[in-house]
Amino acid sequence: MLRFLKAFGLFTAAALGAAASPALAAGDLLVAPTRVILDGSRGTEVVLNNIGSEPATYRISLEIKRMTAEGGLDEIAEENVTAAERTALDMIAFSPRRVTLPPNQPQVVRVGVRLPEGTPPGEYRAHMLFRAVPDAAPATAEPKPASEGVSIALTPIYGITIPVIVRVGDLGAEASIGAAWVTETQDGPAFNFDLSRTGDRSVYGDIEVTRPGVAEPLLVARGIAVYPEVGARKVSLRVPGELAAKLKGPVRIRYSEDREIGGGTIDEAERVVQ
Amino acid sequence: MRNFGMKRALLGAAIAALAMNASAAHAASATGTATAKILRQITLTKTSDLQYATIISGATASTVAVSTAGAASCGAGLTCTGTTTAGSYDVQGTNGAVVLVGGDSSVTLNGSLGGTMSSTLTYSSANITLGATGGSFQVGGTLSVGANQAAGDYSGTFNVTANYQ
Repeated sequence: MLRFLKAFGLFTAAALGAAASPALAAGDLLVAPTRVILDGSRGTEVVLNNIGSEPATYRISLEIKRMTAEGGLDEIAEENVTAAERTALDMIAFSPRRVTLPPNQPQVVRVGVRLPEGTPPGEYRAHMLFRAVPDAAPATAEPKPASEGVSIALTPIYGITIPVIVRVGDLGAEASIGAAWVTETQDGPAFNFDLSRTGDRSVYGDIEVTRPGVAEPLLVARGIAVYPEVGARKVSLRVPGELAAKLKGPVRIRYSEDREIGGGTIDEAERVVQ
Repeated sequence: MRNFGMKRALLGAAIAALAMNASAAHAASATGTATAKILRQITLTKTSDLQYATIISGATASTVAVSTAGAASCGAGLTCTGTTTAGSYDVQGTNGAVVLVGGDSSVTLNGSLGGTMSSTLTYSSANITLGATGGSFQVGGTLSVGANQAAGDYSGTFNVTANYQ
């Protein structure tokens, strides 16, 4: 038993060392897992780790985000949420809500569900936001004399969100792949396709684009969701120029379930990319 | 690694597994002990701040822009000194994962000697697909400087998030 613990200790030390990348700032963070699905009976744990070089205080909160037809997530202010979204916010319980961590100190956040009796079947979702509370602006050495002009200090409050999904009742959904095309955006070329959804829950999975007769996939994109608030979304993935050129022509696009739950095909289609 | 309780040790193991996951993306390594569950992880680190450096305002209102690549353009009538940089963030996670990124589209800055300014914010991309070495995104902006803007140190905060779907 002792050897067992010791081995873990060493493993931990090595791994934490490895996790430290060179450029570290206060507020850097790690969150795992990246998606939580609850069925209402059992809770789960999410790990938050301070991977910065300074102690930092993190705040954990829930917010509502709605998927857009463009595939983005719009943040919705609390006063504008629908009744179902309000239910989602109320049923998801978590603790702690605020924690101060020294560097490389992980913290477990417990997440549970309190299902009020008579909750209608459906998928309820909120996004759990982890973000560092910025330190009070450090007292700079000396205030600038007025003659030196205008100096600017912008402090980002940066964080990570992961979806917390609660499924009530027996739900199902299907998805189908629409047209696919390559566009030139201002930030470079992108591979796009339409993804539509029917049913009473979200779909989630991985995309693989292959050329018939070629084993190696041209493009793999993991973790693409279509949430219930939209019936269809565009998936737009930035790709390098050479890949954009290669993608044009006949391809097979496969949308498969997460590898963790078997990786079964949700939809598969042959398309000619314009 | 002082005298950790069992629970702490196991939590450490979970974190260790997370850290390893980044390099060993093929997570089929189920040869560990029964307690080692490999969770998918995401990390977000700031690698540079959005900096407009120092500006001396002119007699007319003007703007200073910093592109997401960090290039500055100093508007007519203004004097800009110092090095400008775009804000940059590094994201690590599962190879191939698509992460939605973004944040506030504007920020208000308050001056230490009174006065306010505002800046629009732009992001290099709405989503990034993580490669074997992760991915990154940048924040640029356009700062509106008033005519004879009051001198001083201006500060403001804005939100940036990396979102898993």
